[in-house]
Amino acid sequence: MMALQNRLQVSALDLRLSIMAAVLVAMSVAFHAVTGNFLTPENLYNIAQQSAVVGIVAAAIGLVIVARQIDLSVGSVMATIGVLIAYLMYSHSWHWVPACLAGLALSILIAMYQGWLIAYLGVPSFVVTLGGLMSFRGVAFLISDGRTQPVTDANFLLIGGGLDGALGPTLSWALGVALSALIVWNLVSRRRNAAARGFPMRPLAFDWTLALFFVASTLLFVAVMNAYQLPSKEAGQGIPNPVLIWGAVVMGMAFIVNRTSFGRYVYAIGGNPEAAVLVGIPVKKVMLQLFLLLAVMVTIAAVVSVSRLNAGTSSLGSGMELYVIAAAVIGGVALAGGSGTVLGTVLGALIIQFLESGLLLMDVGIGYRMVIIGQVLIVAVVFDVVYRRATGERL
Amino acid sequence: MAQTPSIPLVDIQAVHKAFGGVRAVEDVSVNVYAGEVMALLGHNGAGKSTLMKMLAGAYPIDSGVIRINGEAAKITSPADSQKLGVETIYQTLALADNLDSVANLFLGREIKTRWGTLDDYAMETAAREVFHNLNPNFKNIRVPVRMLSGGQRQVVAISRAVYFKARALIMDEPCAALGPEETRMVHNLVRKLKAAGVGIFLISHDMPDVFGLSDRLCVMKNGKTVGTYRTADVTEDEVLGMIIAGKKPEGKPETGRMAQ
Repeated sequence: MMALQNRLQVSALDLRLSIMAAVLVAMSVAFHAVTGNFLTPENLYNIAQQSAVVGIVAAAIGLVIVARQIDLSVGSVMATIGVLIAYLMYSHSWHWVPACLAGLALSILIAMYQGWLIAYLGVPSFVVTLGGLMSFRGVAFLISDGRTQPVTDANFLLIGGGLDGALGPTLSWALGVALSALIVWNLVSRRRNAAARGFPMRPLAFDWTLALFFVASTLLFVAVMNAYQLPSKEAGQGIPNPVLIWGAVVMGMAFIVNRTSFGRYVYAIGGNPEAAVLVGIPVKKVMLQLFLLLAVMVTIAAVVSVSRLNAGTSSLGSGMELYVIAAAVIGGVALAGGSGTVLGTVLGALIIQFLESGLLLMDVGIGYRMVIIGQVLIVAVVFDVVYRRATGERL
Repeated sequence: MAQTPSIPLVDIQAVHKAFGGVRAVEDVSVNVYAGEVMALLGHNGAGKSTLMKMLAGAYPIDSGVIRINGEAAKITSPADSQKLGVETIYQTLALADNLDSVANLFLGREIKTRWGTLDDYAMETAAREVFHNLNPNFKNIRVPVRMLSGGQRQVVAISRAVYFKARALIMDEPCAALGPEETRMVHNLVRKLKAAGVGIFLISHDMPDVFGLSDRLCVMKNGKTVGTYRTADVTEDEVLGMIIAGKKPEGKPETGRMAQ
């Protein structure tokens, strides 16, 4: 096993991602067998769209957890930002672009405050953001005096999906093909670079199988999204805008994690904070930047969710912190820090939404749904502990 | 080294450090010349590691001066110390266990492409060369360092000093956790670096290490220096006497100068 793992250069992390992808497939087949309408374009389209907000925040909070921190305030901050944006548009007739920029500015201000307390004063992030969880829910209420702020700008509402907020079949195919080309180009250039330097390489067939799997998944996803057609329309929907935004966020985060020194420092801090200081990493600065990055993602999530709901309300995103942390943990981000992947958070967010949707189709009541999802989180963590023990990964 | 350098490479003068009410380092002066090994000895808690951590930039100094090549150096962070050419191999090795050897070698000082992104190919190429020179059998450099043996982990920690061309090197108990083979590797490396003109502070409890490698030795006790001697001038028993009782050997000249 180890020998094969070494030859294929697959880490324990890659293996676990494959297991999770398999779980996702198994879940969808099981739900489809029971309900008969789980694997339909309509249901999958809705699942993708509904996972986006949690997925966007989960992609960033995963990195925060990797650095051994936590942020419990994301749901409340999202409400504050969402209400502010809706309030500026509805009560002060702002155009949506400056309103969103104002939201971003406030989000960054909040992150500077919380991040400074955590990074520079050394207050535990659990405490700072627990305070934030309560305070910013209050701020969301105060901004509009608790009144719901409806949003009607047609362009703004496209961001959240809905009837017209999707890419359409042609552009979706173009994007799918472009992504496939990117995957193949990445493989070829990686192999060429490794060969030129005489580095050991994975077997060619294995590399291609992997690349083809990703290409096939991408194209299958596009096909399913295109297959969903509203009765009132002539063409299929294509990729919904929230999913597009989520995809961009995931690619951006993956770039940060794999290609920048900032990403590497975050993992180093999570792996060994003392060592990170001793080798000269500016740990405090990196930590603050990490919370600023999360703030940007929370703002994006706030915009998407206000647009989806057509309104900003002070209850926006309540309880969301638990879902995003659950998504990250189910996706294999270790709460002990130092380990986790962006792709894992995507799978984690999807697993939660698959469960929600599948159980809903089975007519399982809200009480049972909460019980089941809570226990699935525990199963995921137990699996995590057993798996890490078996593969010698850090706990 | 053909000629004796006239000024020390690193000169620590009258340095103090207190943690709360505890005086960890009190009025300590010690220096090292280029191409010299200065051993630092003492009990646990004698202040050796604290002293070296100030030179490495991990702790700020309370008072005193550190001169590098005669110039007063302002060291407020590990990055400052690295910029002055001082590399440190910590007893704990300071490795991020979850990252691979290449990432650890370059941690904090990554090679970038012209777009400012990590240049993994350049880093791996350079790392393979450094690792190969230190230990030709070290091949699995792309696995997290927690999967490596003690000796391989030591190679990764040492490779930082080699790759970044240390002018001065601090080694804190470099052989404490190593087998005989790996200890020999470290000894050879110390001699090689010394011949290349690197000034080395060697913190060690191990008498064979100290007598086999060092030119001078400085004994500390309770945060103060007991004395600094040419290693060739003193015996093992006299050194133990200094460490345990703080007793200076009789009739032996102390020296702040390089051994010849």
